[in-house]
Amino acid sequence: MTAAQPRMVGARVARVEDPRFLRGEARYIANITLPGMRHARFVRSPFAHARIVGVDTSGVPAGVAVFTGEDWGAPSIECTSRYEGFQRAPMPVLATGKVRYAGEPVAVVVAGDPYLAEDAAEAVVVDYDPLPPVTTVDEALAVDAPLVHEDWTSNRYVPRAYASPDYDRETEGTLTVSGRFRNSRHSGVPLEGRAVLAEHTGGRVRVHTSTQIPHLVRTAVASAMDLAESSVQIVSPDVGGGFGVKAQAYPEEVACALAARALATPVKWLEDRREHFLASHHSREHRHDATLHYSEGGRIKALTAAVRVDMGAYSVFPWTSTMDTGMAMGILPGPYRFTGYKVDGYPTCTNKTPYGAYRGVARPAACFTIERLVDWMARERGLDRLEARRMNLVQAEDYPWTNPGGLVYDGGSLAESVEVMRDWIGYDSLTEELARDRREGRLRGLGVAIFTEQSAHTTEEFKKRGVPIVFGYETSMARLDPTGNLTIAASIHNHGQGLETTLGQLAGEVLGLSLDRINVVFGDTDQVSYGFGTFASRSAVLAGGAARLAAGALREKLARIAAHLLEASEEDLVFRDNRVEVVGAPGSAIALGELCRVTYQRPDLLPPGTEPTLEETRVYDAPPGTGTYTNALHAGIVEIDEATGAVDLQNYWVVEDCGVMINPLIVEGQIHGGVAQGVGSALFEEMIYDTDGQLLTTTFMDYLLPTAEDIPFIATRHLETPSPTTEGGIKGMGEGGAIAPAAVIAGGVEDALSGLGRVWVSQVPLTPERVLGHIAEARSRQ
Amino acid sequence: MRVPADGTLSVSVTVNGVLRSAETTPRTLLSDFIREGLGLKGTNVGCEHGYCGACTVILDGQTVRSCLVLAPQAEGSQIVTVEHLAGGGGLSPLQEAFRQAHGLQCGFCTPGFLMSATELLDSTQGPLTRDDIRSAIAGNICRCTGYVHIVDAIRKASEMRQP
Repeated sequence: MTAAQPRMVGARVARVEDPRFLRGEARYIANITLPGMRHARFVRSPFAHARIVGVDTSGVPAGVAVFTGEDWGAPSIECTSRYEGFQRAPMPVLATGKVRYAGEPVAVVVAGDPYLAEDAAEAVVVDYDPLPPVTTVDEALAVDAPLVHEDWTSNRYVPRAYASPDYDRETEGTLTVSGRFRNSRHSGVPLEGRAVLAEHTGGRVRVHTSTQIPHLVRTAVASAMDLAESSVQIVSPDVGGGFGVKAQAYPEEVACALAARALATPVKWLEDRREHFLASHHSREHRHDATLHYSEGGRIKALTAAVRVDMGAYSVFPWTSTMDTGMAMGILPGPYRFTGYKVDGYPTCTNKTPYGAYRGVARPAACFTIERLVDWMARERGLDRLEARRMNLVQAEDYPWTNPGGLVYDGGSLAESVEVMRDWIGYDSLTEELARDRREGRLRGLGVAIFTEQSAHTTEEFKKRGVPIVFGYETSMARLDPTGNLTIAASIHNHGQGLETTLGQLAGEVLGLSLDRINVVFGDTDQVSYGFGTFASRSAVLAGGAARLAAGALREKLARIAAHLLEASEEDLVFRDNRVEVVGAPGSAIALGELCRVTYQRPDLLPPGTEPTLEETRVYDAPPGTGTYTNALHAGIVEIDEATGAVDLQNYWVVEDCGVMINPLIVEGQIHGGVAQGVGSALFEEMIYDTDGQLLTTTFMDYLLPTAEDIPFIATRHLETPSPTTEGGIKGMGEGGAIAPAAVIAGGVEDALSGLGRVWVSQVPLTPERVLGHIAEARSRQ
Repeated sequence: MRVPADGTLSVSVTVNGVLRSAETTPRTLLSDFIREGLGLKGTNVGCEHGYCGACTVILDGQTVRSCLVLAPQAEGSQIVTVEHLAGGGGLSPLQEAFRQAHGLQCGFCTPGFLMSATELLDSTQGPLTRDDIRSAIAGNICRCTGYVHIVDAIRKASEMRQP
């Protein structure tokens, strides 16, 4: 084509999906009512570890149904790794025989009203014989630890270990810094809890569920109910936030489907907030014991690490219980150019809520560890922290760079981002200003952290991870109707990321079609082709790539037809403004709607041999399947209140590169949201268990989330290095914002206290109590 | 108000300008009454313990968390919910400001923020500063946006309003 296609990619357009949310017309599951619908309430274990001696349901009022796991033949959701030596831990739909975490569902009651269901659940009496729980990785990995699963040989799901061939050589004669780095247990905490509405109709099970992974939930439900997948429909309408929490299949989804089938009525369950804390999957709890090896000049040579992740009681579907450990083992070397690496992994089973995905998956913990070590190395060697990073980064000429964990970095702008940040924030004068403030007694400091993030990884990566299902592609169908309106049906999902808009921008650009004529459909397994869902910063790249390819196939066909009708050459056609025009002949054009009408309804006018429909489905797997890498450098200023230990985050800057941006407004929104969640990790969010395995943080008064007063203005600058491999040069960017804030704020706190004395900040969240501890530590070294 | 023997009672409120009555029970939360009794599903429930602000509505001129009010306590009151903002169709200036500034992502907290912002805009004059707004919306939790674009949206709405 000789005329330039007008660009829609890169435009800062307002989202097409907004009006229904703003008008209070969103389609959340809570808003759906079906005739005869009844309400479920789960009876949950109050013990972390106990034998179930008996379940007495005699007190349940008439008209209320009760089910236990035994009523259904003890179904479970199983996710077994392909790694050799993996110890199986199927997740019961309702526990039978034994409970393994406080909050585990043991029975479900179904009543005509949710308030009555709650009353009835309290009338179910379960007799437990408590067993000693293991509630930390240390307890769980002790030689004589009680076993969470009694047929196992230890509480380690599977041993993992790796060493690069030159590890011994690279560590020889080096200097070192070491630490034990801890991230607390916390999770995504979407504002909409989980929600399920199941029905059994026409011989099929239909489960409405608030999920990120409709087809994968279908697999889990079908498998647990021993049904063909075609007998199960998953419908996931608007989802009120996911962040990974809703990227697992859950027992409640299967239980509601089983109850609906047994009772022949629709069964609805809306998780309450306390249940969310107890039973929605947790994440983030990593402990890394790590040593950085470096030269006298501050060149990083090698990294030694042991990664312990508290995976809770069961292996989650579809990730298995090895995902966080594996991701940390791969990405711990971070954006740095070195080759010596030795790492051991301990995905550990405990009597805690199962552990699943949360935005960033292991990367926030990995970034925290390597960035803290680099800060400490810089301090030991008297180097500036930004300079210590710059001199060790993978450089532009190194790409593709295979890191010592085996990940292949395809490109980026790491070094450039350092220069941009330095100039943008006036780094040199800023550090002087902060030093001056400290001399005057104010505890102000700057932190920085840089990372590269794997996104949109497919077959090659997931094959390595031992997962039973390899999440190798996504699918988009593009269909033009006879009036020239486009429907995209995508196998991913949308829970705030703006994909109704960005997929429209991608496909609309190909067809010269305005967004008001594009409808994007997600979430219904009867309506969209097979695919895996939205997670791992993949949706824009994979479903977007598939949508571009499908739209491109439609355009090819339309161009052939238009060229025939307009008696022009295909090369001279341009698709724009909902028309197909002949370049240089302004009068010669056809409206896209007319072209579509002719294609469907006037086969007699089509060029010979043309099939008269406009529907194309494409699968996109982003070869080579090892992921495309974004990068970002974050910086922030904190000020500590010496009396209370409170940390005030005053400024935050992000220089990021996610390749070609589809919609900068949405990119910035994703960064802001990610950073705010990272600030939660850094300062507030922590699931606290007592030694009996009781979760003590089950309300928003105990488990703190960042508010508008905790999050400063987040300034962003974009670099745009197109991905060398993906369709359109797009990289994934949904998770990135959440990765660096804990490292930034820890570095900032250390800097802020540097006038008092030397401290080693190695644990988040930096609650006032912990910060006061660091202040005391600093003073003790004066 | 007397509670009949069967435990149900009728509650009347003026919601979005219309007098409505519905059967409910003494323990029903106002949030559930609005959603199930009155069928206004735009008000979302995020925590049921008065913290997250998703269920914020305006009750007799002031924002309340409707999960912390019992339905019978609202007898005779004036309630405004998100459904009222745009009237018949389209978006109100505040809603349009949210859209233009990308002040929402998953949308679950959005009705609550809109009600808190409505109260803020109704009780102040002139353009608001970022800090004014951050303080006024600190009782609403958003997990998606990091608040930056929400603050932008309310600021824009404050600049656009009639003096």
